[in-house]
Amino acid sequence: MALRELSSLEKYLGLKKPNKYSTRGEKKVPVLQNNNGPSLVGLVTIACHLVKEAKRPELLGSSADDRAVVQQWLEYTITKLQNCTKEDTKTILKDLSLYLRDKVYLAGSQITLADILMYYGIHAIIMDLTIQEKEQHVNVTRWFDHIQHYPGVRHHLPVVVVLRNRIYTSRHH
Amino acid sequence: MALNLTINTSNPPLGALLAAEHVKGSVQVSVKEGNDTQLHVSDSIQFSDANSISRYLARVAPALGLYGANMMEQTEVDHWLEFSARRLCGQPGLTVALDELNKALSLRTFLVGHALTLADLSIWAALQGHEEWPRQSESFSHVNRWFSFLSSQVPFTSIGTKYTSKKAPVSKSKMNE
Repeated sequence: MALRELSSLEKYLGLKKPNKYSTRGEKKVPVLQNNNGPSLVGLVTIACHLVKEAKRPELLGSSADDRAVVQQWLEYTITKLQNCTKEDTKTILKDLSLYLRDKVYLAGSQITLADILMYYGIHAIIMDLTIQEKEQHVNVTRWFDHIQHYPGVRHHLPVVVVLRNRIYTSRHH
Repeated sequence: MALNLTINTSNPPLGALLAAEHVKGSVQVSVKEGNDTQLHVSDSIQFSDANSISRYLARVAPALGLYGANMMEQTEVDHWLEFSARRLCGQPGLTVALDELNKALSLRTFLVGHALTLADLSIWAALQGHEEWPRQSESFSHVNRWFSFLSSQVPFTSIGTKYTSKKAPVSKSKMNE
């Protein structure tokens, strides 16, 4: 799974020559064999390397604060999103919705690698939500819809249908 | 084709200025300060209403998509342009209009489609120029997020600081598209 994400990321970054990856261990951790150095292991490590290779450092955050927040969410995607249970997804959606209340992107006011990897990681969860649940977590849904339509990000994943008007707000009629 | 935009400095048309900033790469627009807001297209064609100016600028630079990506979005843009002119500009009570805007923005990053359009420019400009907005902003979280997001983006930062007018803007009397 991580391999498709890395190849989509390569396309988003406009890297001409696709890299060759292998996987290691039971959890299928991705490995990038580097021509002039030791091999790189792990989704986030390789993703950060690709960003630097593409000379797009702003994708890792433009200020010191933003860079820290980007790293925080990158870690979140690999520690919390992989192999999570039904209970976990509820907490994830709640936390994320609260966090995104006053934000367009996860860090700062520009898209970063954190948004892209979070989008790849959370896609399966959002895909399974009912329309009503999507509306409950309105801030995640809005963020998700924005990222899936962001030019060049989506690639291997199907579009998730998102209603852009609320239908479960009984208060306003 | 060179266009001349003259702006009334005591009541600058922020929406039209933003549109002019956006189309600069595709169309030649010069901005001058003067007494009356007017876009001079030719000796026989001039526009003096801020929304008419924005519309014209968006139409001469179709590749930028400021008027939306299809007919549906174009209609939505028109809706919001009218909303900003009738419900926000120079109106005393904003609460009802802001509530409506807040609902629309709960599932949207931009007002129309998935990118910036005239709708965003025009509504942002109306709120930026409205004295009641800063006091109300806390109670409408979606509008607030959208507003501060735009305010942090490139042409908005410079336009916002350069032309912050203290007066609540525009009477609606001068419409002649």
